[in-house]
Amino acid sequence: MTNVPSSFPVPAKLLIWAVAPTSLLLGLAAWSVSPPFQDALVRFTNSMLTSFTLFSLMLLLTLLVYGDRRKRPVAPFFGMVLSVAAGSALTYFFLSQGDLLMEDNGSVRAQALSNIIRFATTLVAMLVSVMVVAGSLFSSLMSAPPAPVVFEEE
Amino acid sequence: MEEAMQALVFFWFAGLACMTGFMLGFFAKADNVRKVGAALMVLGFLSLLATPWTLTFSPSSAFGHLLGSILGPCVLMGVGFYQITFSGHVPVGRLSPGERKTGFAMVIVGFVWLEAMHWWILTPTYPNEVNRYWLIFWPTFLLFGVACSCTTYALVGHVGNQRNQEQRLMMLIAVFFGILLVLGILVDGPNVLRESFASALFLAGADLFGLLAGAALAIVLFTLVMALYESQQPSPLQLNSPSKGQLQQAAEMISANLTGGEEE
Repeated sequence: MTNVPSSFPVPAKLLIWAVAPTSLLLGLAAWSVSPPFQDALVRFTNSMLTSFTLFSLMLLLTLLVYGDRRKRPVAPFFGMVLSVAAGSALTYFFLSQGDLLMEDNGSVRAQALSNIIRFATTLVAMLVSVMVVAGSLFSSLMSAPPAPVVFEEE
Repeated sequence: MEEAMQALVFFWFAGLACMTGFMLGFFAKADNVRKVGAALMVLGFLSLLATPWTLTFSPSSAFGHLLGSILGPCVLMGVGFYQITFSGHVPVGRLSPGERKTGFAMVIVGFVWLEAMHWWILTPTYPNEVNRYWLIFWPTFLLFGVACSCTTYALVGHVGNQRNQEQRLMMLIAVFFGILLVLGILVDGPNVLRESFASALFLAGADLFGLLAGAALAIVLFTLVMALYESQQPSPLQLNSPSKGQLQQAAEMISANLTGGEEE
């Protein structure tokens, strides 16, 4: 990968490496059964709204740490509170539109809570994946002795 | 206690305690606050684990059941990787070769245990059917594992020098996870049929992309808010460049404090 000159910037290459095999496998899953496209679209939207709201909340909490170093600024804190409020309001609004984003839940509250638990499950799965990949990588890196530094005479 | 109140205390407050405890434990500066954060996280996690007993009436308790089901293999793999890594070529605190072998055994047993949850009778079942959150966890774990190892493969190739072994390992993991996914799509398991696995995989993909898109939006917004705030701050006081006298004084101070022998 490194030796081949390419016009792609590195982040784009990494994104392609992440998305291409994933899409291939999802395509295989779609080919093997009649895929629930409508359900997947609803799932994607619910997941995006929940993730946006909860990540905004987490970033809002990090501002408490940031505030220690910058005399507790109010403006960014207020900005992120607005962001969390906007995410929550959007979620509530879309969930209230009949069956638009509802899955197998009887009420808006049940659907919102179900979204949060699914978000947590997905996050746990991602963390375990990262643990396996990073654990394997560091195990391999540490198994070999450090390469000697060779000084070349000028 | 009323059922809704029980769910609020034992599940939602516990989840909030976990998240807040994690943030405090990792980011707070004061030691006391960090300890309180760690205690909050442990208490919240224990409360979540206990929900199959404390909240038997609530569907949310299936999440606590899932956490309890995967805790064993995850701890085995985590400790195993730690032992393998720190029994390698680390400069201080190296573990013994025996612990390295134990680490390998723990990782293998942990992974086989997880596999047995799909391909054998160990599938998390709650209360009388396959745990609905297992059908989210397992395909997401494999799918994100493929994405993560492929990205690491490319990243190691970009920043690493003579790291062919690591690249091969990453590709091996990606192929292995990919094969597990394809097998799940094509072959029925004892408790999870291939149709339900394929559907769950498709929905897991939607969940994963949705989560990443939402997170990216939140981070972009956070960056904009911070950039806007910082750009409105007055610029720091600029000092004048040093005068000749100050430079002369600095040179004298430096030469007075420099020691060095003559060349032999």
